[in-house]
Amino acid sequence: MSAGPYADAAGLVERSAAAYTAAVPDRPEDDGYFGPASVTWRVSGDLSAPVAGLRSLLMQALHPLAMAGVDQHSAWRRDPVGRLAATSAYTATVTYGDRADAERAAQRVRVIHEHVRGVDTVTGLPYAAGDPALLLWVHAALVDSALAAIDLFGTRIGEADADRYVAEMAVAATLLGVPREMVPATTAALGRYITDTRQDLRCTPAAAESMSYLLDPPGLDKEIAELWQDIRDAAVAALPDWARDMYGYPAPSTLTPLTPARRTEIRQTLGVLDAVFLAEPGVLEARQRLTARMRG
Amino acid sequence: MAAAIAGTALAAVGAVSALRRTGRLRAGPAVSALGRRTRRLRVERGLAALGLAARGGARYASSAPRLFAAAGEQREKLRNDLALQTAEDVAATLGTMKGVLMKLGQMASYVNDGLTPAARRTLSRLQDSVPPMSPELAAQVVTEELGLPPERAFATWDPEPIAAASIGQVHRAITHDGRAVAVKVQYPGIAETIEADLGNVALLRRMLKITVPSQDVDALLAELRERVTEELDYRREARNQQMFADYYRGHPTIVVPEIIGELSTRRVVTSELAEGARFAELAGWSQAERDLAAETIYRFVFRSLYEAHAFNGDPHPGNYLFHGGGRVTFLDFGLVKYFTDDEMRPLAAMVKHLCLDNDPEAFRRAMEEAGFLVRDAPLPTELVIEHMAVFYDTVRVRGPVTMTGDYAAAVTRRFFDFRSPLAAYAAIPRSYVILQRINLGLFALLGDLSATADWRRIAEEIWPFFQGPPSTPMGEAEAAWKSGRRRPART
Repeated sequence: MSAGPYADAAGLVERSAAAYTAAVPDRPEDDGYFGPASVTWRVSGDLSAPVAGLRSLLMQALHPLAMAGVDQHSAWRRDPVGRLAATSAYTATVTYGDRADAERAAQRVRVIHEHVRGVDTVTGLPYAAGDPALLLWVHAALVDSALAAIDLFGTRIGEADADRYVAEMAVAATLLGVPREMVPATTAALGRYITDTRQDLRCTPAAAESMSYLLDPPGLDKEIAELWQDIRDAAVAALPDWARDMYGYPAPSTLTPLTPARRTEIRQTLGVLDAVFLAEPGVLEARQRLTARMRG
Repeated sequence: MAAAIAGTALAAVGAVSALRRTGRLRAGPAVSALGRRTRRLRVERGLAALGLAARGGARYASSAPRLFAAAGEQREKLRNDLALQTAEDVAATLGTMKGVLMKLGQMASYVNDGLTPAARRTLSRLQDSVPPMSPELAAQVVTEELGLPPERAFATWDPEPIAAASIGQVHRAITHDGRAVAVKVQYPGIAETIEADLGNVALLRRMLKITVPSQDVDALLAELRERVTEELDYRREARNQQMFADYYRGHPTIVVPEIIGELSTRRVVTSELAEGARFAELAGWSQAERDLAAETIYRFVFRSLYEAHAFNGDPHPGNYLFHGGGRVTFLDFGLVKYFTDDEMRPLAAMVKHLCLDNDPEAFRRAMEEAGFLVRDAPLPTELVIEHMAVFYDTVRVRGPVTMTGDYAAAVTRRFFDFRSPLAAYAAIPRSYVILQRINLGLFALLGDLSATADWRRIAEEIWPFFQGPPSTPMGEAEAAWKSGRRRPART
């Protein structure tokens, strides 16, 4: 675990927006790996997406080897916002880009992963970022978080669509090198996989440190910071109980119970955050490109 | 100019009262030097802590596109693909605070300089983000409201909207009895979602702090909630517009489209279709034409106030259509305030005492009666007059005066003059708050037109305590209309 303070989080919205607009193609060659009729596009465009993203990071960080890879190799501490923006750019490209875009982006990540190897100081275990087992955890955490967030704070999808989403998303894992047969293709399989993986998870000091940074990022514009509190509460509330316990966060029932009224409040905050995001250059146009194709 | 000026003056004191309400400023007798300095600092800090309505009408929002056509070619191309097709689409686009934020943006378009640049950008992008309803969705609302699909409720129905409206859009149609009409159709479900979002006071307060950081958040919140709630029910607007239409029926230059009552409901309002030049086009008209248009707007504002005791509170340039020869159509009666006799009396008295009688003490007493100035404030009356006079500049003496942007700006500056010794003793009762918006807006509008007239003489025609003879050809025509009218409408 490298030492040193984190850079502040200024520009989080701006850089996420830039990543998003760049990822939504003007003239795609094809519909990519998902396309306008996919559940994935609907889920990714849902208001609950910021909660999904934050919950997903909270889940991913609980894998000591995945966390060590990020902590020891990436610019995470020096430029956490850049690192997050790179991640969201990648995710958005795979989601909305045409196949060539998605493959190029995945190839770049695989090359980077080649160099991310080391030994986790907490468990003493060696790791490699290209290890399908780690990649699969990162993938599963993201898919599970999108479903949890949309169910609690978004426009709910039914069980059938949830299954379709898990199945659709499998290709994202394979793009990074996870063998297809390892990737859960139903919500039930996803649940089983997460339960089975729990034994490998723990909150290392690096995870605790990184996540407390994320939950309360210094340097956010004041207005965003106030909105972020709701997003943070929502992401923590959406965690499985065991994950919340690992971090030592209080259960939402003891603090601010997740009543229907509270959920509405969080949705309203998400709406405001979305309006702020929408005002960034190119975001509205990118949305319109997607909407036109989805209505097409 | 009378009431307008009175109104503006009120705006000035109103600004101060906003400070008072928030406790940033306390009225009181002489203060120690230290106390004075502290107060000065507080005043400066709260300098812009005005009600939203109060702020800088000297400039209009340059954007605020009301017509889809104005939003650019790209938008035009996309709009059919993007049309809102279901109530769920409406909720996704305007729900979860976005509709409320848009209303906030519309209100704030009158107060440009109170907004942070980021907030202005966000609000204007938000407006751009709302596509029109699909023809089917609009038809569905009409069907629910009128009991018949639009093609049967009307003889002819144009499924393509001609303009965006407040939380809805406008369609052209022809009624079965052959009248060309404009039909404003509200987005389905918008009232419910906005009402729910208005309930989140904590978040709204936070948003207002972000959007207009320097202003009195509670006053703004109250105004936002009241205004938006009113606008959700189109029947109120229909009633207001019909009152004005009745009042001005047959007027030589003032045109108010009639409401078609049987085709108007909570979410649909049908009125006669008006066509004419937009405000921006007046730039290309002769100054004589612009002067005439300005005279009509001026007469409309003050006749409405003094005779109908009604004030239309939305001086947006988009709410006028111009026909030449001074004929102006007035649109959008979503925000109308009616005044009681008791509320009107001191307004008129202030004008009379200052401009006619030149009686400063009486002027001051009228201010006190209206509640604009606390009684027995330790201030010399000359100081009160000195502070207030600018608001009455255009009607204190006879003779032609040209309205300019500079004058509008000067009024605004004085309005913000919190260093004025009056500041600590001034207040603005809630029932007069609306006047400030109109007055600052009206001055800016007339300034934009560089309009010249003998405003004093026109005011004399209208002042109920003067009833002067017609001073212009338009005045002659108006006098003829007045004498031929059966009886003035009164609310």
